[in-house]
Amino acid sequence: MPSERLLPRLFLILLVAVLALAGWQWRHGAPLSANLMELVPGNTPDALEQQAEQRMQEPLNREMLVLVGHADRQQAVAVAQQLCERWQASGLFEKVQWNLQADLPALREQLLRGRLAMLSAKDREQLIDHPDTFIQQRVQALFDPFTGFSLVPSQDDWLGLTGRIQNSQPQHGSVQLDIGSGALIADADGKNWVLLRARTTGNAFDMKLPLQVADLLKASREQASGQGAQLLAASGLLYAANGQQQATREITWVGGGATVGILLLLLLAFRRWRVLLAFVPVLVGMLFGAVACVALFGHMHVMTLVLGSSLIGVAVDYPLHYLSKSWSLQPWRSWPALRITLPGLSLSLATSCIGYLALAWTPFPALTQIAVFSAAGLVGAYLSAVCLLPALLKGVELRPAQWPLRIAECLWRMRTSLLKRVPSSVLLVLVLLFCAGGLWHLNTKNDIRQWIGAPPQLLQEAQAVARITGFQPTSQFFLVRADNQQQLLERQAALGQRLDQLVNMDKLQGYLALNQLVSLPAEQQQLRDALNALPQHWQPLLDLGVPAAALQAEVAHLQALPTQDIDAALAGPLAEPWRTLWLGQVDGGVAAMVSLQGLNNPALLRVQAVDLPGVQLVDRLGDLNRVFADTQISAAELKLMSCVLIVLLLILPFGFGGALRIVALPLLAALCSLASLGWLGQPLTLFSLFGLLLVTAISVDYAILMREQIGGAAVSLLGTLLAALTTWLSFGLLAVSSTPAVSNFGLSVSLGLAFSFMLAPWAGHQKHAS
Amino acid sequence: MLTTVGAAVRRFDLLAKIVNDITVYLTRRSALRSFASKPAPTWIAFILLLSVTGTAHAFDLQQLSDQLAKPSVIHGAFTQEKHLRALPQPLVSKGTFVLAKDHGLLWLLKTPLQQDYRISAQGIARRDANGWQLLPNKSAGAEQNRLFLAVLQGDSSGLQRDFELQLQGEANGWKLTLIPRSLLLKQVFTQINIDGGELVQKIELLETQGDSTVLRMQDSRADQPLSDAEKHDFAQ
Repeated sequence: MPSERLLPRLFLILLVAVLALAGWQWRHGAPLSANLMELVPGNTPDALEQQAEQRMQEPLNREMLVLVGHADRQQAVAVAQQLCERWQASGLFEKVQWNLQADLPALREQLLRGRLAMLSAKDREQLIDHPDTFIQQRVQALFDPFTGFSLVPSQDDWLGLTGRIQNSQPQHGSVQLDIGSGALIADADGKNWVLLRARTTGNAFDMKLPLQVADLLKASREQASGQGAQLLAASGLLYAANGQQQATREITWVGGGATVGILLLLLLAFRRWRVLLAFVPVLVGMLFGAVACVALFGHMHVMTLVLGSSLIGVAVDYPLHYLSKSWSLQPWRSWPALRITLPGLSLSLATSCIGYLALAWTPFPALTQIAVFSAAGLVGAYLSAVCLLPALLKGVELRPAQWPLRIAECLWRMRTSLLKRVPSSVLLVLVLLFCAGGLWHLNTKNDIRQWIGAPPQLLQEAQAVARITGFQPTSQFFLVRADNQQQLLERQAALGQRLDQLVNMDKLQGYLALNQLVSLPAEQQQLRDALNALPQHWQPLLDLGVPAAALQAEVAHLQALPTQDIDAALAGPLAEPWRTLWLGQVDGGVAAMVSLQGLNNPALLRVQAVDLPGVQLVDRLGDLNRVFADTQISAAELKLMSCVLIVLLLILPFGFGGALRIVALPLLAALCSLASLGWLGQPLTLFSLFGLLLVTAISVDYAILMREQIGGAAVSLLGTLLAALTTWLSFGLLAVSSTPAVSNFGLSVSLGLAFSFMLAPWAGHQKHAS
Repeated sequence: MLTTVGAAVRRFDLLAKIVNDITVYLTRRSALRSFASKPAPTWIAFILLLSVTGTAHAFDLQQLSDQLAKPSVIHGAFTQEKHLRALPQPLVSKGTFVLAKDHGLLWLLKTPLQQDYRISAQGIARRDANGWQLLPNKSAGAEQNRLFLAVLQGDSSGLQRDFELQLQGEANGWKLTLIPRSLLLKQVFTQINIDGGELVQKIELLETQGDSTVLRMQDSRADQPLSDAEKHDFAQ
């Protein structure tokens, strides 16, 4: 037939074109991305909110905090110093710092400049309302041997405003400066912990850097323990490194395991080396998937590859469809075998694509990419199985092993004898009872944190660092918007009053807001006005010998200080902690964040923003949990919709009744899987639901295979068994994942496949089939 | 796939966020605060040298240290002169002190204003109408306090770590110079000079900014035990 010559050539042309496209896409290296942020639901349509979030997270992905602990303080400092030198030399870090190099002149300058703007509310009120007390305290401070250093010499600040600003700086944590070495040291567990801070050259999304950093840390840890010191580290990079290692491990396990298993299965069943060519569609599928992904998204995420590796098991089903006909069709010839199975293959492609593309409508960018990858991959696998593979297998005479067929026949006989004793209707009732019982036990879990497979060691260390340093930053923050800076500071102050209450109630350790750094212009003016009255009260200072002229000059100087706005206040070194909080001019107004420390009860936060105009709580964690709960419902809807689509598609070949039956079986299988999860005490997560969504699409295939019964019931059952086995080999292997959610997904797919296989024979027999 | 979502989620994990906030906070904030809460090294030196009442001849630092442990209680009077660059006259204050090896220091300022201070294991306290009030920043100043008390008990190794100590002269007429080792300390003051004979006579602190403080100790004596009132003050 001419098509037998034409099809392979046409396909080869297409393949060359796709390869060329792939080559062009890879011209600048692999278009791979490891940016995890691309994979979570982008439910923040608000650009500003996104900008704020990025700002809060940026340092997390580049910085690492290390505590070097030793019973002896000097030893701890020495080890930290060595570590610092070694890391600096590694070239991985832009900056490694173990001691403080405070720029005192710059600090002095800022304090002097900010004497009106940075004075705390309490000190301001005292100066305005109780000038006598204010002066008296100043006199005391001049004699007090224990007030310590003031950075600014007295003659530059007779009123002592800079000292007050210094003392009113909010302090958190239990880390203190070792004034001799300049190290920042915390005391805990009978050890001195020296704080070391490293900033990497790249960020956590870099493909290599996190692993290199993790390796360096490991080596340093060993070296330190040789010196009797202990290292504790916390960084987003370590989580990234761990995630990458895990992903690599899982690609190897899932991809490698599935490949080896499937090749072995093919060899055992068909006993011909050339049958391994059945793997060609898999490779072509991967190629198509990758090309489509890069074409649509500009790049491909590494995790798409991980899940993509499970496509192996589905793609190999196409050649298996006609290879398995060799048990009934003797002598087996590739092209005739294909012609018989082509309608089934095409239907299978259509239903699987519907199932995968249903995933594309979930709000998870990760799933969208995977859906595109898989659908394109299936089309590629289908095309190569239909156009190319028969030509490659031309002239191969398959004489498959008989034992698989005997197993299938045995299974079929068991089923027949079972049905003789117990009719299908009774079985259905039993299955439904099983389902009802299982569903009764089923519970759902949608807390995002329960999906995390973070190694306990990383978490413990992060907790230890938090405990020792006394810092407990929270992921939630407030976003405050206003028309102008004045309004912004007012709104932050209003929020601050509420947060102060939480702090007083010990529900919150502290917070950071711009209004702590800079007073309102009106408040700065109040101070200027109050300074006019001060000469009536400063006699005690004159008594000490402070020249009146000096005091008058100082008041004049203070009153001439320009009113500071936020930008001016943020300029000095003292403003560093606040700098990330300022978002500046945004469309039509200004915006800033308020960050939080040591939160005990997140539920309390949402209430704080109520009735405060322009104030919004950004709680990504909580939002995500809500998205997951919402998505669970939409996932169920998607599932039903995909089923309706599949029914519509199948009406043509099988009629309405047949189509309904074919779709009912996977649905029943899904129900059974849900029930099994319930009986097994496994929670239903969003991802087990996604797994079942996928199983429905795949197992429609089995029902079609059984309904067509080309070559007899036993042969069809064998075909189904092989298909289910290969699919299970790739998806089921996900169950080995160390991330609970992934293994949950693998488990639900495995269960779904098993039930689909068991239920497939009830698809009935299509009378017109040969 | 799920690994990723999991990993993405991890990034929101509040524990991981530590890195960011701590580092930003610490470098500037607690540094400044630590400066503010530091008992001036004057006092560390003061304690160190008041305790030296020995009359040994070949006088070295080790001996100085050894002698720290000897007297258990010292009573004396002080005059503090604060020389500010811009003032023609120094700020002069006077008072008495009690230094007790096992308890700490009572610093009783008499003129031109009256104010009592105490340094003990609990921290620095100031007396007001309601009795002794511990000054805040206990945690931040804890190390300095510990160092202070260690010096008081004869262990000056902590002091030697932060300062270069130069001793000149004889036991009955000597001068000790403390020069800060770290860049950080050097930005605050240039050196501390202590003159002593049989007893410490003068402590001088030279600040980098040009100001200086001179402490003169008079009538120091180590032969009186703590009075009941003093015991009471330390006990609270």
